[in-house]
Amino acid sequence: MIGVELTAGDWALACLLGAVIGLDQVSWPQAMWSRPIVAGTLGGVLFGAPAAGCLVGAWLELVLSRHPPFGGARHPETGPAAFTAGAAYAVAGGGAPAGVVAAVAVGWAVGWTGAYSVTLLRRVTPGLVSRPEGFRGGAAALARRHRLALALDGLRAGLLVAALLVPSVLFVRLLSTQPPGAPAAAWWPVVAGLGLAGAAGVAARGLGARARRWPALAAGLVLGTVLARVLS
Amino acid sequence: MRPRRRDFARAILRSFSIQGSWNDHTMTGPGLAHALAPLLARIHAGDPAAFRRAVQRHSRAFNAHPYLAPVAIGALARLEFEGDDPDTLSRFRSALRAPLGALGDGVAWAGWRPFCTSAAAIGFVLGLDAGVAAGAFLVLYNAGHVALRIWGLRCGWRSGRSVASALKRAPLRRLERSLVSANQVLIGVLAALLIGQLPGAGHVPWRDGSAVIVALMGYLVPRHISAVAMASLLAACAVWLL
Repeated sequence: MIGVELTAGDWALACLLGAVIGLDQVSWPQAMWSRPIVAGTLGGVLFGAPAAGCLVGAWLELVLSRHPPFGGARHPETGPAAFTAGAAYAVAGGGAPAGVVAAVAVGWAVGWTGAYSVTLLRRVTPGLVSRPEGFRGGAAALARRHRLALALDGLRAGLLVAALLVPSVLFVRLLSTQPPGAPAAAWWPVVAGLGLAGAAGVAARGLGARARRWPALAAGLVLGTVLARVLS
Repeated sequence: MRPRRRDFARAILRSFSIQGSWNDHTMTGPGLAHALAPLLARIHAGDPAAFRRAVQRHSRAFNAHPYLAPVAIGALARLEFEGDDPDTLSRFRSALRAPLGALGDGVAWAGWRPFCTSAAAIGFVLGLDAGVAAGAFLVLYNAGHVALRIWGLRCGWRSGRSVASALKRAPLRRLERSLVSANQVLIGVLAALLIGQLPGAGHVPWRDGSAVIVALMGYLVPRHISAVAMASLLAACAVWLL
C-alpha cells in the first residue's frame, strides 16, 4: 500500500550527504548549507523533486526558527532534519497538504533527535581535546584530535540520517496516501495553515524579542496575503 | 617574528572549524588554539617550548560567536606578538567572551541569517527555481559571513588591546536592529505566501484572515503557553484526522 522506491544506493548517498550537511551546522564550516531551505532542497534533489524538498525547507525555516542558538541554548539540528523531511516528502510524491504536515513533523522530530545526539557526542569530545587546565600536548596533537572530533560529528550526522530516513519516508507516504475525497482530507489544509501561522508568529517573536515589533510582522502578513491573492 | 599574510589566511581558514571540538568543559578553547596556531608558530618561531606553552594556554576554556571569533584570534595574536604576560592574556581572553558572543548572536543569528533565508524562501514561493533560490541564499549569506570573519581578524590584529573600542565604533548594532525589523516583515510575507499557496487547499475562504490573526496571537501570547499549546493542538488535530 505504501510502496517506496528507495534503493540501497540512494540510501547510502543520503547518509553521506546527511553527514556533510550535519557537519555544517556547528563543526565546519557553518556556511549554512544545513539551513532547511538548502538541506530540504538537497533532499528533494536526491529523489528528483527539488521543489518538493524546498517547499518543506521553507516551512521548516519558520517552524524551527523559534529556537535560535543564542548563547549556546539547545536548538534543533536543522540540517539532517530538513534533508530527511525534504527527501521523505519528495519520495512520497509531494502535493497533499497532509504530506507537508507529516514532513514538517518529521523535520521537527529529527531535529530534536539530532540535538540530543549532539549532546551525547559532547560528552565524548572532552576526553579527546580538553582538560579544565587546557590541552597538554603540542599543536600537531591538538590538530589531530580536533580533526577526529570533526570526523565524529560527521559520522554522528550520517548515522542519524541512516537510522531515520526510511521510517520518515514511510510515515510521510502513509499520511499522503489518504484518498482525496476522505472527510479528513478537507481539514488538513486548516491544520497546516493555522499551524504554520502560529509557528511564524512564535518564530518572529523569538527573532525580535528585544522590542515589540508586532506591527512589522502584521505589515508583512498583510503584504504577503495581498501578494498571494494577486498571484492566485 | 611578525606573522605573514599567509599565516593570517591559514588562521581564517582554520577559524571555520573553530567549533569542531566544542565541548562542555572548554567549549571553543581547543578550536581557538587550533586556529591561532599558525600565527603563534610565526610569533614564537625559533622557540618551540614557547610555542607549545602558547598553544596550551589558548586551548583553555573560551567561547564566542564563531563568526566573530576571528576578532579574538587577531587580538590575542597581537598581544602574543607584543609579548604580554600570560596573566594579562588570560584576563583579556575572559573579557572578550561575552561581548563577542552577544554581538555575534544578534548580528548573525537574529539578523543576517533569517534575513537571507526568508528572502530566499520568498523568492522560491514567488516562482524562483528551488536550486536557484537555495544557491542564491548560499552566495548572499556567505558573502556577509566571510566578510565578517575577515573584517574581524583585521579588526582584532589592528586594535589589539583596544579591540573593545573598535567593536563599539563598528556599525554592527545598528545593522542588527535594521535586520531584525526587516526580518519581522519578511517572516510575515513568507508565512502568508506559504499559507496562500498551500498544496491542495484551493481557494479556502478562512485562510487569509485566520492566518493573520493566528500569527499575531503566536507573537503576542506568553512564550511558555504558546509552545505547549501549539504542540498539543497540532498533535490533537493530527490524531483526530487519522
